[in-house]
Amino acid sequence: MIPHYWYNINVDLPKPLPPPIDPYDGDSRIALLMRILPSELLDQEFTALRYVPIPDEVRELYARIGRPTPLFRAVGLERALNTGVRIYYKFEGALPAGSHKLNTALAQVYYAIKDKAREVVTETGAGQWGLAVSLASSLLGIKATVFMTRSSYMGKKNRVLFMRVYGADVHPSPSELTKYGREALRARPDHPGSLGLAITEAIEYTLMGEGRKYIPGSVLGFVVLHQTVIGMEAIKQLPEEPDLVIGCVGGGSNFSGFSFPMIGAKLRGEGFERTRFLAVESEAAPKLTKGEYTYDFPDTGGLLPMVKMLTLGHDFVPPPTHAAGLRYHGAAPALSLLTREGIVEARSYGQDEVMEAARLFARAEGIIPAPESSHAIRAVIDEARRLPRGSVIAFNLSGHGLLDQDFYERIVG
Amino acid sequence: MEIRKPGLGAYVTATYPNKVLFLNAVKCLSEVSDFLEVGIPTLNPKYDGPVIRKTHFAAELKGLDAINVARYGTIPTILMGYIEDYANRLELVAQVASEVGASSVLFPDLLFEHIDRLEDYVVTMRNYGLRPSFFVASNTPHRLVNLLVKYEPLFMYLGLYAATGIKLPLYIEKNIREVKRLVDGTTLVAGFAINSPEMVRLVINAGADAVVVGTALVDKLGNGEECRRFMMELRGGLA
Repeated sequence: MIPHYWYNINVDLPKPLPPPIDPYDGDSRIALLMRILPSELLDQEFTALRYVPIPDEVRELYARIGRPTPLFRAVGLERALNTGVRIYYKFEGALPAGSHKLNTALAQVYYAIKDKAREVVTETGAGQWGLAVSLASSLLGIKATVFMTRSSYMGKKNRVLFMRVYGADVHPSPSELTKYGREALRARPDHPGSLGLAITEAIEYTLMGEGRKYIPGSVLGFVVLHQTVIGMEAIKQLPEEPDLVIGCVGGGSNFSGFSFPMIGAKLRGEGFERTRFLAVESEAAPKLTKGEYTYDFPDTGGLLPMVKMLTLGHDFVPPPTHAAGLRYHGAAPALSLLTREGIVEARSYGQDEVMEAARLFARAEGIIPAPESSHAIRAVIDEARRLPRGSVIAFNLSGHGLLDQDFYERIVG
Repeated sequence: MEIRKPGLGAYVTATYPNKVLFLNAVKCLSEVSDFLEVGIPTLNPKYDGPVIRKTHFAAELKGLDAINVARYGTIPTILMGYIEDYANRLELVAQVASEVGASSVLFPDLLFEHIDRLEDYVVTMRNYGLRPSFFVASNTPHRLVNLLVKYEPLFMYLGLYAATGIKLPLYIEKNIREVKRLVDGTTLVAGFAINSPEMVRLVINAGADAVVVGTALVDKLGNGEECRRFMMELRGGLA
């Protein structure tokens, strides 16, 4: 059964979310949001409602792509670990674009079309978001233009290919198409790109033409809101309340989407009292464990309003890693606040230990996990070995890794 | 002094554009408004939009000196400041507020960034014979709003948009209704980007007890007659 509502955790947080602010130089970025974003998304960003109705049209689209996604008992992994810990995972990789990103891509493209947009523009890191937007745009009959971080554009050729199959225009970022892209290339001709820079290029490109809307893949509140469809389903599917809930974090939308409905219930005293929540990030972009909680720009160029979040600084360029979806300098404001308050725990892992986990999971469960999701799997394995027998872990397998050839070539040597 | 319902309030930044014109504006607005909000000029008006920010930067005097140039109180008057400027000087702000005839001091950043000072703030207000008042955004946690109501504030101020004077495509009626349900019988004041009688009517009809106009008033502050006419026009939305 597909949920009728998305869940807005902002109204249940232990402290209010500081509002977005403008810097003191240049034009108002808050006013700019009106020009670039579909209007309904702005409303959702600031809504007072705890439960936001999912439009019937979006629910129908969710059904068409295969929601609800399955919740599996990780029987093979449990056997391989033999720790007596029960493990469940929600498999967002079952969606046709291979990751959770489609949950918000469909909603955002739907709202863009309601605003009479003829084209949506976005950024992508590993390409999961870009692929989801390309697919959603194809289903809904609108053009998609995607700025993809250059290191991923070179490494994830299959995702680029399939975005094009869906009809999208894909550009490596930094690109020659925008002022910020050209400046970045001049400063560093071998620039690997970063998600923050790709966001800036996508926004600049949106403003360059008529009938374009910008749609973001993570961090902003409405993205997280749409992803809560995962957790709303999971609450109904889980046969028992977990002791530990785990997910990986790039900007925070998959972890938040999976866990927020459960965290919200815990905060309201309506269940999940004993559940811990663990967010897992890459050592390449450790904002949750090493970032500063401060106002910062979500994008490198500072075109968006500043939000208060855990951040490594908007000009931070994470080193290239195979988990490109985690190469982002900040974490969604609500997730940042919950981490600061100790309600969400955070941990970072390096690439090698994650690869080992990916291999183990693939062999035990038969699903090739995305490199990003493999960070969550690493934590699941470590925690299963630490927790008492009979404990329960639930995690979000946010995507499959069938298009992450570069990652798996390194694993098998 | 309670806020009249339905009511229309005016926001001005103290000593903007200068001391003389500010005093004229206070006099004029006291005759055509139900309550007054007076901004304490700050160097970091971070939650404000570009127009109100300019008034802070251009004010002739800064800080509490700017407040002290006038006496208020013919209508309920609320000082508005950023608590980060007065983190260790709350008593001083309360004392000044009390001396100049204000009823409360509203700190928009209290709940968002200094919630650990909430109790201090309430006690300090009461010690100086003032009432607390609270600024909330539409997505402020429901349990917090329920808690704030228990402090019996003069009013709850709902910021309708993300920053003063910047209108976004939000269903504000829905947000007002939701917050009204949470504040129960406490006076609900709404503001940000109020600029026409139609908007006043919409906000009042959605459940707000009073509205505040600020940004739209800024370019009229130098001309008493224009200022009066604009406020009377907005009052049409209260009927």
